[in-house]
Amino acid sequence: MAISSFYGLQTSLRGLLAQQRSLDVTGHNVANASTKGYTRQEAVLAASDALQVPAGAVQNGSGAHIGSGVDVQAYRRVRDGFLDLQYRAQATRLGEERGIAEGLGRAELALAEPSDDGLSSRLSDFWDAWSGLANAPEDSAARQAVIEQGQSLAGAFKTVDDQLALVRSQAAEEYATLTASGGRIEQIAGEIGQLNDTIKRFVTAGDPPNDLMDRRDVLLDELSTLAQVSVEDLGTGSLRVTFGGPGDPPLVDDTTVNFPPALSAPSGRLGALRDLAAEPGGRIAQLRSDLNGVAETLAGAVNRLHPGFFSFTPGAAAATLSVATDAAGLNASYTGFKGANDVALQIGQLRGGAADDLYGAFVARVGSEVSQAARQEANAQALTDSVDDRRQSVAGVSLDEEMTNLIRFQRAYQASSRAMSTMDEMLDVLINRTGRVGL
Amino acid sequence: MRITTGMVQRSTLADLNRVSERVTDAQKKASSGRQITKPSDDPYNAARALKLRESLAGVRQYERNIEDAQGWQEATELALSNITDSVQRARELLVQGASDTTDAVSRESIAKEVDELIAAVKEAANSNFQGRYIFAGTRTDEPPYPVGADDTYQGHRTAVVARQVGPSVSLDIGVTGLSFLGDGAAAGDGKLLDTLRSIAADLRSGDTAAMQADLSGLDTNLDQLLGVRAFNGARQNRLDAALGRMSQLEEVTLGQLSETEDADIAATLITLNSQQTAYQAALKVGANILQSSLMDFLR
Repeated sequence: MAISSFYGLQTSLRGLLAQQRSLDVTGHNVANASTKGYTRQEAVLAASDALQVPAGAVQNGSGAHIGSGVDVQAYRRVRDGFLDLQYRAQATRLGEERGIAEGLGRAELALAEPSDDGLSSRLSDFWDAWSGLANAPEDSAARQAVIEQGQSLAGAFKTVDDQLALVRSQAAEEYATLTASGGRIEQIAGEIGQLNDTIKRFVTAGDPPNDLMDRRDVLLDELSTLAQVSVEDLGTGSLRVTFGGPGDPPLVDDTTVNFPPALSAPSGRLGALRDLAAEPGGRIAQLRSDLNGVAETLAGAVNRLHPGFFSFTPGAAAATLSVATDAAGLNASYTGFKGANDVALQIGQLRGGAADDLYGAFVARVGSEVSQAARQEANAQALTDSVDDRRQSVAGVSLDEEMTNLIRFQRAYQASSRAMSTMDEMLDVLINRTGRVGL
Repeated sequence: MRITTGMVQRSTLADLNRVSERVTDAQKKASSGRQITKPSDDPYNAARALKLRESLAGVRQYERNIEDAQGWQEATELALSNITDSVQRARELLVQGASDTTDAVSRESIAKEVDELIAAVKEAANSNFQGRYIFAGTRTDEPPYPVGADDTYQGHRTAVVARQVGPSVSLDIGVTGLSFLGDGAAAGDGKLLDTLRSIAADLRSGDTAAMQADLSGLDTNLDQLLGVRAFNGARQNRLDAALGRMSQLEEVTLGQLSETEDADIAATLITLNSQQTAYQAALKVGANILQSSLMDFLR
């Protein structure tokens, strides 16, 4: 069987088309170099099916396979699914540490310590006022000062407690907003369900929609900062996504969305918010109960010496602390003599005692929790960055590489054209000049 | 490892953020002059700073207490010195009156002067410090020896007037009038007012033997009075010493607080400078890396 004279033209054409497609893909990569979550693509080239010549192609009379050029096999996303798993695990941890660090950081600001405006300064002023009264027990201005400093101290306790309560309620609110119907989690779940459906149809038809898959991976990344995510490939391009606890029913199963999620062990940002907001036992609730302890110790110590000076509700002492007496009802002493100061003197001596110690320990506890949370956040951030770098190393667009590819594919395109021109000249000789001897 | 454009951008940005965070940190320290601006900067030292601030406030309050007590003591000393003067004058008069050459008319005029001296002593015993009667124990709102009444002591008889002059140190700064002036003639307690009253009476009756007894009684009273003044003076010394100790303590505590809380300005400024240099270097390097690409070298 003879081989067609025009066979080579077809081979060159395939080359031209394949290089053109590769150039198109390069252009797409360059255009998306800074698109979030974009995975670089490549046209996978392979030699096209050879022309089989059954017999007589070579000297010994047997057949041969003659190359027919190149074909585009597929447009591939260059991505490592294992790195995605690692990235999402780190993102969950980072989301949790960041949530905790943010919440505790706000709680710390509420203390305004060490400064002249914090609770410790008010406490100091309060002791000063009692000592002042001990110096001048008959002086009504000194009595008024004790009442006023007591009220200002109670106000300072309430302010700190209110701020802590606000941090707690903000965390609870954010948790509720995220997990509410129509919230971000339901939006993401719905979108993943739809993408599953679309991607499945294309994959079944044999053309994986790379850019839609990128979009779905971005959504999974976002979901993983909120709570732990595990993804199971259903084999048809579709995914089953478990969210917020290993044993929970899947949030997205193929195209079905199960909302709301059970969230048995969320971790991630949701875990942090839950940890901050829980009552009782949450981090903020614990700080508030510590503060209540300080207020109760203070009120107890003062009331033991001056019954009924402070009133408070047990269990919510910081919020409800108030001065229950007025200047007229204030007793610097119970001996009945105007110049006696034994009570004022003893209360003045409470300075630096149990209440101050407890408050100091409370501030130190907040401080070390915040600095620990900040360290862990920095650590989680570093790990996340390093995994993300590895992922970007595989999937990211390198402009230098794309430029090189541009040149490579351009040259290959030019060479294919040159091969075609050569073929053309050859045919010109054959068709227009052959057999014209003697004309 | 394949380095992609996104990686270079991300890591450049992350590095810049890190360095500029350090610059901001150093700036905050330099501008506030403090190395602890919130508890998490250094939880241990933040708690220590709170403790030191509390001690400092305490020391300053003790200083105020001591100054108040010193005022009280000075008023006491002044009154005691007036009383001593009166008593010494009374003694001179008594010696004069006890002389056999003094006639009844002179004794009567001497007795009148003694009456005046008694009034002066009671007046001094009613002296006050900032409106508070200093010889009345804790009944500071009533004069201990009301004018016009008899000589019975009206103040609180046993109470102490305590002032806190140091952590868990309190000092009784009060002197009751009862201790050296007594309850007067009616009680017959042999204290100053009793003696003075009997001197006046004896002068009028002209009983020289009783006057001799009064003289030895007055000497005993004078000794008592000097004893009270010596005791008061010793307390003043104690207060002075306590004030000296408190101002030393204030200085030491301030030093410790500053060491705990304040930034070392020289070190902070050097850090700030070197961080700024690092930041500029990072910016320059980042700009160079981000700008260069293969495209610069292709036609």
